[in-house]
Amino acid sequence: MSRRLVGSVAATLVMVLAAGCGGSSGADGKVELSLGLFSDFGYDKLIEEYQASHPNIKIEQRKVKMEQHNTQLATQLAGGRGAADIVALEEGVVSQFRASKDKFVNLADYGAKDLKDQWAGWKWNQGTADNGEFVLGLGTDMGSLGLCYRRDLFEAAGLPTDRDAVAKLWPTWADYAKVADQFTAKTPNVKFVDTGRNVYKAILDQTEEGYFAKDDSYIADKNAAVKTAFDTAAALGTKQQTGALEPFSQDWNVALKQGSFATTTCPAWAMALIKAGAGDGAAGKWDVTTAPGGGGNWGGSFLAIPKQGKHPKEAYELAKWLTSPEQQKRIFKETGNLPSQPKVYQDAEVQATVNEYFNKAPVGKVFATSAESLKPTYRGTKDSKVTPIFNSALQRVEQGKQPAADAWTQALKEAQDAVK
Amino acid sequence: MTAVSTKTEAAQAASVPSSPEPKRFWLSGWDARYTPYLIIAPFFLVFGIFGLYPLVYTAWVSLHDWQLIDGNQGFVGLANYVELFGDAKFWNALFNTLSLFVLSTVPQLLAALGLAALLDRGLRGSAFWRAGVLLPNVISVAAVALVFAQFFGRDFGIVNFLLGFVGIDPIDWRAETWASHLAVSTMVMWRWTGYNSLLYLAAMQSVPKDMYESATLDGASRWRMFWAITVPSIRPTILFTVVTSTIGGLQLFAEPALFDPGFAANNSSGGSDRQFQTLVMYMYEKGFRLFDAGYSATIAWMLFVVVLLVAVVNFTLTRRIAGKG
Repeated sequence: MSRRLVGSVAATLVMVLAAGCGGSSGADGKVELSLGLFSDFGYDKLIEEYQASHPNIKIEQRKVKMEQHNTQLATQLAGGRGAADIVALEEGVVSQFRASKDKFVNLADYGAKDLKDQWAGWKWNQGTADNGEFVLGLGTDMGSLGLCYRRDLFEAAGLPTDRDAVAKLWPTWADYAKVADQFTAKTPNVKFVDTGRNVYKAILDQTEEGYFAKDDSYIADKNAAVKTAFDTAAALGTKQQTGALEPFSQDWNVALKQGSFATTTCPAWAMALIKAGAGDGAAGKWDVTTAPGGGGNWGGSFLAIPKQGKHPKEAYELAKWLTSPEQQKRIFKETGNLPSQPKVYQDAEVQATVNEYFNKAPVGKVFATSAESLKPTYRGTKDSKVTPIFNSALQRVEQGKQPAADAWTQALKEAQDAVK
Repeated sequence: MTAVSTKTEAAQAASVPSSPEPKRFWLSGWDARYTPYLIIAPFFLVFGIFGLYPLVYTAWVSLHDWQLIDGNQGFVGLANYVELFGDAKFWNALFNTLSLFVLSTVPQLLAALGLAALLDRGLRGSAFWRAGVLLPNVISVAAVALVFAQFFGRDFGIVNFLLGFVGIDPIDWRAETWASHLAVSTMVMWRWTGYNSLLYLAAMQSVPKDMYESATLDGASRWRMFWAITVPSIRPTILFTVVTSTIGGLQLFAEPALFDPGFAANNSSGGSDRQFQTLVMYMYEKGFRLFDAGYSATIAWMLFVVVLLVAVVNFTLTRRIAGKG
């Protein structure tokens, strides 16, 4: 162990020392702010503009992969130095970091509570603690759910291709499974959906309580919604109607390119990934429609301010500006990241937005409608500990390694240990 | 510590008033006695800070309920160790680590030995071949993993495509324990065989040539010469490579982690059923994903002990085997 530990400790030390040099007032007297992000938030142009209108502020963006971002942030919070002035917290981990909220600035101290009405109520609540007294982060985008499908593959299987007609095929997930059967009967060599795990997550995200009840107690073993979601997804896996792909991986990209699956769950931000993976050759073949079971939320982030930063006031002003309705609207038009503010997604211009690549689908309308009927899931403090366990269980079913019932039993047992 | 004591000595030496000649004599004695320590002192100083201190600190952390962000939550004694010994995931990771280590290291060192023997025979353009075998080691592990992950793809991987020609059904390389171990080992072998063979080659070139000549006169075959002369002569190098590959092999992390496509994106850790999760990956999962630094430190210490044990066993075994004529 020693050598690796030496290496990592040395590397951490170097990083900490290097980071310690930045983040303060620069030589030219400017206030330097850093932004710790993990994927495309669409801030490049906005930051240039902000710097132009605030000549005393200099902004630096740090972009790394999400996993690395979370790990780094945890070590930086533990070490008390090195974190960016503003950090992005993804919805899946925000509850985990909320448990260490004393490491963050309470944005209410800077008047964040006055902004409350900008956001959808559930989005605001996810970013707060202590019954709204502690404001941990300001909401950026959200991942309102749609369902993407290949028009050409649907046609080949004798299914309708018009997006309204397709939506009528699957009011519920049980109907979706029936469509899968029809599809597989006609075209057995094409998978109906990329991965059962995303179906599972989509169903689960449509319930108000998932693995944890609203009082943060663990209920996965008692909550029928979890079992139903698992069984629905596992049935697709057992019938080999899923591609058993790792979502958003290299294999997933290849499968997109090869057109080897016909549907996939589509949070707003996933459309950019599908376009990148499928390439220009598939332009107009993909389309997006309403997801079975109504709306749901998947992903979306918050901007929070670690206490260790030297300029919380300036950082707050920047975070407030970046998450304001005007900027969210611009970001949606440029990147497709869905605004988490009702006023913005109800905006006529946003509603009228179409996506050329997805057969000119009215994405503004599809996602706004989904957002309206959305019931946000409560995320427990230990949600991120439990989630991978159930995902792995589904993966085992898809791989044909375990019958669904055994996978479920094993997952429950492992989850029980994890929440102890 | 050495640096401190030498400083005092130096101060004393400066303060003693005496005639130039005995002083110089005294100094040269001092020089011969202490300078070597002075010269190696920086290593021990750096080792103390970056090696010993983290080691001891890790042991300290492992005796506590320690959360990564929130820090020390109280002393728990050996509770973490007790939990670890009853933790099936730990034993699974230990098995995977040892299996991957054996699968990758044994063929790797044997192949390196053979490769070195070939290179030692004076091929044409020897510099080219020698530089060539080191090439895989120069390429970043992330790039290697990316390429190998594609080779071993389930649906569109080239390995499955080739296996199809001999009538073998596509293998899901990440679902089966043995298949995933084989794939990850291949990656490790690809990276390290050349490096080890260069070490062997350097040692082989210092074996006196007249030994081979007299053996040839006695009518010994090349095979016999290799085992009776070459291998025993380069024994120290073999021991060195065995110990370093033991340390490296048991700390395997990057290759299996990058082989798992869900590692970076979906918090998966070595397959759907931890088929190829190594000890370091498990340590990472506990420490940096679940923020349980205390338990993570416990795994770190157990890994340290395992490395120590296996290194000693390997050292003894190899010394015996390589010692036989």
